[in-house]
Amino acid sequence: MSVWNYVVTAHKPTNVTHSCVGNLTSPHELNLIIAKCTRIEIHLLTPQGLQPMLDVPIYGRISTLELFRPHGEAQDFLFIATERYKFCVLQWDAETSELVTRAMGDVSDRIGRPTDNGQIGIIDPDCRLIGLHLYDGLFKVIPFDNKGQLKEAFNIRLEELQVLDIKFLYGCSKPTIVVLYQDNRDARHVKTYEVVLKDKDFAEGPWSQNNVDNGADLLIPVPPPLCGVLIIGEETIVYCSANAFKAIPIRPSITKAYGRVDADGSRYLLGDHAGLLHLLVITHEKEKVTGLKIELLGETSIASTISYLDNAFVFIGSSYGDSQLIKLNLQPDSKGSYVEVLERYVNLGPIVDFCVVDLERQGQGQVVTCSGAYKDGSLRIVRNGIGINEQASVELQGIKGMWSLRSSVDDPYDTFLVVSFISETRILAMNLEDELEETEIEGFCSQVQTLFCHDAVHNQLVQVTSSSVRLVSALTRELRNEWFAPSGYAINVATANATQVLLATGGGNLVYLEIGDGVLKEVKHAQLEYEISCLDINPIGDNPLYSHLAAVGMWTDISIRIFSLPDLNLVTKQNLGGEIIPRSVLLCAFEGIYYLLCALGDGHLLNFLLNMSTDRPTVIYSSNKKLLYSNVNLKEVSHMCQFNSAAFPDSLAIAKEGELTIGTIDDIQKLHIRSIPLGEQARRICHQEQSRTFAVCCLKYSQSNAEETEMHYIRLLDDQTFEFMSTYPLDTFEYGCSILSCSFSDDSNVYYCVGTAYVLADENEPTKGRILVFLVEDGKLQLIAEKETKGAVYSLNAFNGKLLAAINQKIQLYKWMLRDETSRELQSECGHHGHILALYVQTRGDFIVVGDLMKSISLLIYKHEEGAIEERARDYNANWMSAVEILDDDTYLGAENNFNLFTVRKNSEGATDEERGRLEAVGEYHLGEFVNRFRHGSLVMRLPDSDVGQIPTIIFGTVNGVIGVIASLPHDQYVFLEKLQSNLRKVIKGVGGLSHDQWRSFNNEKKMVDARNFLDGDLIESFLDLTRGKMDEISRTMGVTVEELCKRVEELTRLH
Amino acid sequence: MLNGWPSRDPHNFRQFRPSDPSNPSKMAATTYCPTHSRTLPPPDQVISTETINILLRKMYQSEEKPNAKRGAPESIVPEPGCKQPRPTSDSDSATDTACM
Repeated sequence: MSVWNYVVTAHKPTNVTHSCVGNLTSPHELNLIIAKCTRIEIHLLTPQGLQPMLDVPIYGRISTLELFRPHGEAQDFLFIATERYKFCVLQWDAETSELVTRAMGDVSDRIGRPTDNGQIGIIDPDCRLIGLHLYDGLFKVIPFDNKGQLKEAFNIRLEELQVLDIKFLYGCSKPTIVVLYQDNRDARHVKTYEVVLKDKDFAEGPWSQNNVDNGADLLIPVPPPLCGVLIIGEETIVYCSANAFKAIPIRPSITKAYGRVDADGSRYLLGDHAGLLHLLVITHEKEKVTGLKIELLGETSIASTISYLDNAFVFIGSSYGDSQLIKLNLQPDSKGSYVEVLERYVNLGPIVDFCVVDLERQGQGQVVTCSGAYKDGSLRIVRNGIGINEQASVELQGIKGMWSLRSSVDDPYDTFLVVSFISETRILAMNLEDELEETEIEGFCSQVQTLFCHDAVHNQLVQVTSSSVRLVSALTRELRNEWFAPSGYAINVATANATQVLLATGGGNLVYLEIGDGVLKEVKHAQLEYEISCLDINPIGDNPLYSHLAAVGMWTDISIRIFSLPDLNLVTKQNLGGEIIPRSVLLCAFEGIYYLLCALGDGHLLNFLLNMSTDRPTVIYSSNKKLLYSNVNLKEVSHMCQFNSAAFPDSLAIAKEGELTIGTIDDIQKLHIRSIPLGEQARRICHQEQSRTFAVCCLKYSQSNAEETEMHYIRLLDDQTFEFMSTYPLDTFEYGCSILSCSFSDDSNVYYCVGTAYVLADENEPTKGRILVFLVEDGKLQLIAEKETKGAVYSLNAFNGKLLAAINQKIQLYKWMLRDETSRELQSECGHHGHILALYVQTRGDFIVVGDLMKSISLLIYKHEEGAIEERARDYNANWMSAVEILDDDTYLGAENNFNLFTVRKNSEGATDEERGRLEAVGEYHLGEFVNRFRHGSLVMRLPDSDVGQIPTIIFGTVNGVIGVIASLPHDQYVFLEKLQSNLRKVIKGVGGLSHDQWRSFNNEKKMVDARNFLDGDLIESFLDLTRGKMDEISRTMGVTVEELCKRVEELTRLH
Repeated sequence: MLNGWPSRDPHNFRQFRPSDPSNPSKMAATTYCPTHSRTLPPPDQVISTETINILLRKMYQSEEKPNAKRGAPESIVPEPGCKQPRPTSDSDSATDTACM
């Protein structure tokens, strides 16, 4: 059963919705506060730049973020309001580094129509009141008393019903708001009101302005001494106050964000829908406004918020692309831009679609998202792994092997890096300037390839080449002793530790040497029946200098054998099976457990218990006595060794394609994101294994003259390079709505199928679309067939060797039939009516699960004999769906447009038809994110023997750029974690006093019910961040040891 | 227009070294996990909206206003020990009593 689900964030929201600058953490510290929908980030401005201080989860979707300075306070307070009508006032306590809740409250009204144009929250510049516009026709006031404490809120009736913006005016003796609104003839006006606190009512304001720009959408209040307001339209900008009116025309644009530059309000940064940044200047003589000027500065990401930081640095927060730190230069660059982008902060939002692929065939999913919008659209490849942080790199071609050496036994650091090539060996060393430079070890043979190197006891170094073993003094660097391979035999493979050398020559000869002070002594020789492919004598016993075991990999019989040392007696032999020879063996110990790891020529890595595959560098580590594997953010590493030097402590030397890199290794796994900017928005993506391509439905906006047009394309991309291979343009007005890679019965080809819609301005719903069937031939999209449909093809699924399409209110099944000898076509077989709009479809066997625009989830079945599709059951709730997925045969998962998740279950055992025909809601949860897509898959390597390997997971992507995981847990684990969650709720408090219970309760226009059968993984995993004392507290109430709790929670963290 | 970008602290960003813009910033803030009691608001600062209907509030206000004007001189508390006139039975006083 997949009813008990665990929801956890793998990638936090990155869509920046709000930002502000002020003195939050200290009167002398300047902070940038960023809101990312359900999180707040506090940054500090420093000489080095922006320094992140804290990432604060908020139990709500943030609708307002404002800093304000109550009377008599030395630093700013933070006001936050959430979409579910909660608010809080936070103060930073610098001594304890804690956020203190000064006030909080619920500002919902029992009746009232929520505003269409978003919630507005504003604070009077003189701190007399907080104003909120949450419901049409109402303006809510939370007054401050003279001590800065908040008082009971009250509503004032606001005549204007279609409000676009409200701001407080500066410099008014009574708190005064300015309202931008639209009347019922679609004309826009601006009006001012005084808020009379005593009467709890409005009084007529000082001025009003009728018939402003028809596209006016934004008010900017101007601080003293100028005061007044700027009305930002699409074609004009107007300055308006009681005694002045100035206007300038602008190039048509939609201003999305503004940031005030000067404290006196004379300059503003404006960011428009195309990502252009303008500077708006109010020219004035003393306090009299004389006019407006506007200048284009350059291009940024499309801004949702702009904050001027300090000294010409500006933060651009974006919902559609990466956020940026930019600098405003005094002189334009060669392209005429005054904007210099200095830093980029990843934003995956909005994730409109994604697919999970295993490009490296490692049993681990990578998520490829359609991210961003408009010009900032991109594909993002998101992959979990351990990062190697590059410290230094040099170009070096043809590296065949690498080893680090110390200059003496006592030296804590490595000095030399021996790099072997096919016909020479070069030695690099750290010089006094901490630079890597070439040096020589005279005793080493540098004209040949080195097979192995190691430090040895008595300050010696060992080099093994194909002809001999050389023992060299690390102090004098001179040769002290040499052991020669018997004539006619070349050494093929070798290994060594501080006191021992094991090597193999042709003909299956295994030779064991021991290292003395200036002496290499041949101790034992063994004749094996086949050639030896790899060796290891890494000491894993008590003595770190001496190994009692040798691991040997064999050609021909494909085995690995363990020999005892020094007598070379066979201890055990393990046949590996298959035809792939072992390439590398390693004896190692993790947490006191010994392992033999063996890497095969095809990239499989074996140990005595585990069997998994990797053909890229992998970090193996052990936790709770289990071996864990993690990817590394590198490709095609040919050789690698430790290199622990003073300048690069705990580093690795890595040979990649033509390059030697030194890097450090992250101590934790995390998501690594690669960005493929497209310059247009990708809306649907699909991978095709057979052609190793992605196909993407794209939408490109272009500006020709004053006309803004959009064109839709199907683009084919290489799945490794992500380069465009081929493009198929859709017709004018034709949108790509769905895409699928599939094959059909009686046809071995694999096709891309694309569903489209003709979107015409005068139609409520599209009445025409197409299904296009493409074959990838010679790296090109070849159109094989097309079928006209009577509506938008919202979804396509492969179904029993046929094609299942969701077309407007209908589900339609198509057969792939021969039209004539050579060509095929889609033929309609059967369909099912009765949906409002069938937007999301998933299938399993003969079952079809439909997510409807507004009629929740329904279950259909395809009846082969009758060739018909019938409804089997439906959920009678009115959920407006945004995604569906099938968890198992009986349980289906849905996401709806009020940011909730729910599960429904089929009731096959129901006594009556009515019961069987009802999908029962079994799980409900407020995610707080708009989910656009669910996909089965995993972000981490799933090992069959691990606990989490048995837990099925679904990945989701959201508008805010969240990638999350939903894991279906066994019932006993769910019950345990539910208890842990309820205990954590008591210990971990909601910031601002906001309640976790309420936040996670399922909530839409019709109902609000407690969350059930979903657990908040983010809360549960924050157990690991608690102090030991708090952990003990929970451990006592749970009756489970802290160690056991940590272990169980840590295992959950490995789901993502 | 572009001259003189404002500066609150000239040190800010002075030693800023731009990272490769093609490599996004990897700096991550620590996640705040509050367990302290001051996360809960002071009891008198849990704010809600007054429940009275706007229309009713206006009616009450309009009723109060004229009375407030008349009631003002009467609200001056007489000195203790002074003689006080007996309440008369004229209509004005009756309304006042009702209001209280």
